[in-house]
Parts: sequence; C-alpha cells; structure tokens
Amino acid sequence: MPVLEISSVSKSYGKIRALDNVSFNIPKGSVFGLLGPNGSGKTTLLSIVLDILQANAGSYKWFGESPTYLHRKKIGSLLETPNLYHYLTAVQNLRITQSISGRGNEADIHAVLEKVNLHERKNSRFSTYSLGMKQRLAIAAALLGNPAVLVLDEPTNGLDPVGIAEIRNLIKGLSDHGHTVIMASHLLDEVEKVCDHVAILKRGKLIASGAVESVLSAEDCLLLSADDQLLLNEKMRGYPGLLRMNETAEGLECYFAKGASAAEKVNRYCFEQGLVLSQIWAKKKRLEEKFFELTSE
Amino acid sequence: MISNIIKTEWLKLKHYKAFWVLLSVTAISYPGINGIAYYAFMDSIDAKSQSGQLVKMLLGNPFAFPQSFHTTAYLSSFFTFIPAIVVIMLITNEYMFKTHRQNIIDGWKKNNFIWGKFISVLLVTLIVTLFYLAVAGIIGTLATKEMAGINIFEKANYIGLFSLQVFCQLSIAFLLGLLIRKAFIAYGIFIFYSFILENILSGIFKLKSRKWGIDYGHYLPFEISDRLIPLPPFIGKFNEADNKLAIAAIGDHIVYTLVLTAFVWLLSFYIFKKRDL
Repeated sequence: MPVLEISSVSKSYGKIRALDNVSFNIPKGSVFGLLGPNGSGKTTLLSIVLDILQANAGSYKWFGESPTYLHRKKIGSLLETPNLYHYLTAVQNLRITQSISGRGNEADIHAVLEKVNLHERKNSRFSTYSLGMKQRLAIAAALLGNPAVLVLDEPTNGLDPVGIAEIRNLIKGLSDHGHTVIMASHLLDEVEKVCDHVAILKRGKLIASGAVESVLSAEDCLLLSADDQLLLNEKMRGYPGLLRMNETAEGLECYFAKGASAAEKVNRYCFEQGLVLSQIWAKKKRLEEKFFELTSE
Repeated sequence: MISNIIKTEWLKLKHYKAFWVLLSVTAISYPGINGIAYYAFMDSIDAKSQSGQLVKMLLGNPFAFPQSFHTTAYLSSFFTFIPAIVVIMLITNEYMFKTHRQNIIDGWKKNNFIWGKFISVLLVTLIVTLFYLAVAGIIGTLATKEMAGINIFEKANYIGLFSLQVFCQLSIAFLLGLLIRKAFIAYGIFIFYSFILENILSGIFKLKSRKWGIDYGHYLPFEISDRLIPLPPFIGKFNEADNKLAIAAIGDHIVYTLVLTAFVWLLSFYIFKKRDL
C-alpha cells in the first residue's frame, strides 16, 4: 500500500494553474524526490497534502485512508521555511511541536537537537540563529518522535556543504530504517544521491514519475567512438532501431528504445560495415541531464 | 483535546516577554486612570469652598463601595485598547512567523487553532478583569469611610459586565488581526475605528435619530458593549433621563453583546477553515 496516493489534484490561483491534474503514488519506505523548477508546483502540492491549501479538484490519501489531522500527527514536516516562534528557544519551540503532534517526549527533544548539532545552542532564542541553524531546528522538529513519514521541502536550504552532507546521511539512515521520506528539492545532485523514486513537475504538470532508474532510463544510450568519426556517424544512421544520435566531445551518443541496445550487436554491425570501434560504452544518464531534457521548452 | 490546546497556548505565551510587558502596561494604566480620577475628586470635595461642598452633597462619593465597582469599570474601559493590542499581536505574530501553518502541519485541526486563540483571549480577559477588580477593591477601600451598613457587593454585577465588554471588544480586535494579518495595519484600523470613526458615526446616528425615531448608533460594534457600562451616576446625573434609559437597556445590550461575540467567533472559525493558510 502506498504511503501517499495523489489522484488528479489541481489547484489554481486566479488564472494561474499551479497544479494541473497531478497523480502519482509514493511507495512505503521510499525516499521520494519531488523535482521541478521554481514555480513548478512542488510546495503547492506538499501544502495540499498537509492541509495548508485546499485543492480545487482531485483527492489524496495518506496510508490508504482519507486524510485527517491524525495522519498529520504521524508525519514530520518541514514546509518551505522554518516556521517557528522567534521569541522562543529551540527547546521551547520543540515542546510546542511535541504538544501539538504528540510525537516524542522531553528526552527525544534533546536527542533530536543532538542529532542536528544544535544542542549547545538549545537555550538560545530562535531569532538569534543563523539561517542554517534555523533550518536545522526545523529539521529537528520534523524528526521529533521518529515519525514513519517525513515531508521535507528543500531541507538543505541555507546549509553549508558539511550540513548538506549531514542531512544526506540522515535521510539515508532514515531510509535504511524503513522510514518514508518525501523530499522536494531543486538540488538534483542531492536528490540523485539519496532518492530512489522521483516525480518531476513542470508548470504544475507531472511530466515523469517512478523509480529513479526507470525515469532516467526511458531510453538506452551507447557512447561510440571510432578513428573515422564521420564514417561512424554515417553508418550508424542506418542502424535498425536507432531513435536518434547526438555528437558530443566524448563521442557519438546513440539512443535506442529501452532494452533495444545490445552493445555486442552494435559492435558487430560496425565491424561488418568496416568500422573498428575504439570506444563503446553504455552511458547512464544523470538526473540533472534528464531533468533539463524534460523541463526545457 | 481542550487541555492539549490550553497547554500548547500556555507554552506559546509563558515565555513571550512582549505579551507580559503589554499586560503590565495595562496593569499600570488601570490604577493610573482610576487613581487620577479618585484623587482629583477627593481634592475637589476636600476643598473648603462652597462648590466643593456642593459637589460632595450632590454626587456622594462615586469611588466608595458599592459604587466603586461601577465607576472603576467605566474609567478602566477607556484602556481596553491596550489588551486589544496584545490580542492583535497574538494572532498577527502567528501569521508573521507562519506558525499558524506549522500548527496545522503538526497535527492540529484548523478549529483547534482558533479554539487556542479563543482561550488566549479569555485568559487576557480574565487577567484584565482581575486588574480591574484589584483597582475597584483598593480604591473602594480607600474611599469608604464607614463600612458598616454597606453592601459592598451591591454593584458587583459590574464585574460581569466589565468582563463581557472586554471579551467582546478583544474578540473584535482578534477578528481584525485574523482578517488583516499585518500587525501595524490592524492596530491602526482598530485605534482609528474605535476612537475616531465609531464616535463620528455615533454622533451622526444620534442626530439622525430625531428623524428616524431610533438611534442606530447604539448598535455599532463597540457601542453595543460600551453600553453595558453606562455613565456612573455622578456623571449621569447631568443627563438623568438619558442615563435612566441607558441603565434600562443594559439587559438588552447583554444579549446584543453575546450575539455579536458569538458571531465574531463563528466568523473567525469559518474564515480560518475556508482560507488557504
């Protein structure tokens, strides 16, 4: 059973269509990356499933049930910015989170502050924190009581490289312990390092979703090189099943339908055409590349 | 659930210095205004002049028991705008820090959030009423020369009327904060409306009442509860007919105030439920 099922959710702000008929499921135990350029609808979608915004159409289910406040209590969430009381200390803020959500206890408050390296400043007021410290405290609030599901909207905002790596390890650790993490981010490198599933939004429309491998590898790509690159280019044009080619500095990228590129067959074909390949490499597409491909005009 | 809401609101208020500072200002303002009026009055009746003696004979001592409850309620009600600022601050801060969203995200129902604010406004009302009671008690004790034969609590109904008036006016302040969301704009509108605009409208309706046969000014948002505490007799004596009518209308205004307060809170619940956060 998916942790979250989103069905045909749409949301408009006046004439602006922020979300357009978005549907996908988030599997239990996954680290799910929600990707999209600024204004693509990531935060709007997370706000809807956390009951901050009301969808104009569509529905969603948490844990296979119609959503209620009881579900939100079980979910640790950081939405957009750290939303905490500026005049209270870290401990006092987390006591409010604890009181509302019912997650954790006094000992857990100190434990999560240790986890995000804020324990030394636990009695300082939130207003005195740097941006990175505020973000850490908001992450601590989300982690309080070890919730089974975490919703993290741009969790590495304002963090230094060490902080980013710590959060990455934290998310990996949560995933190893069976937690489901839903993470919106525009840091594709980070998402690729931690997420096993992704959904990509563009101007409110879902343009891809599923396991990272399947989203990245909708096509197979072979990178070929030969001494006579022009001849290689000419001969590969006639290769049966070739979808398209792209000349790069590294060599000739040849795209095939998923599962249709057998390097061995291509090698034999080239040899039969009088070409000896100096390189043949099954190229794995990076998320960043795929993201730009999908979201470009 | 309600105990959880009370606990959470207390966690928000307990360490909020600005909240306690503003309540302290209220605590100072009540004895301030009543003390000034009391000593001014005592000075005037202590005078050996004929006018001083005339004042004493005509007015009695409005600060002595049991009249103390009415007089201090009337004078203290001029300073309801200070706790109103506290209430506006409590709701606009949530919007400023976006904690109203976080409270919902963390698992409160939207109704829980407004119940929390309802409880906070009740708490402020209770504290303000305690300040008023302390002032009424102290000034009453100072001003009453002979306690024997006096029913101190004869006018104790003003405790309830004062707290109802404060709760109603603070509820309006809350609704304004909820609608406007920006603290300084909400303060500005509250002060401008309650001190200037409603008085102008009240004057206009009073003039028109001769033609219309009814004074609609009595039903303006603040006037509805202002009329719970009519002029104390020592001032009311100067227009006895109007004052008698005002006293007779207190019962009606209790009902109007309760209806208005209920409407304000129902509207607050509705707005928060329907509005995107």
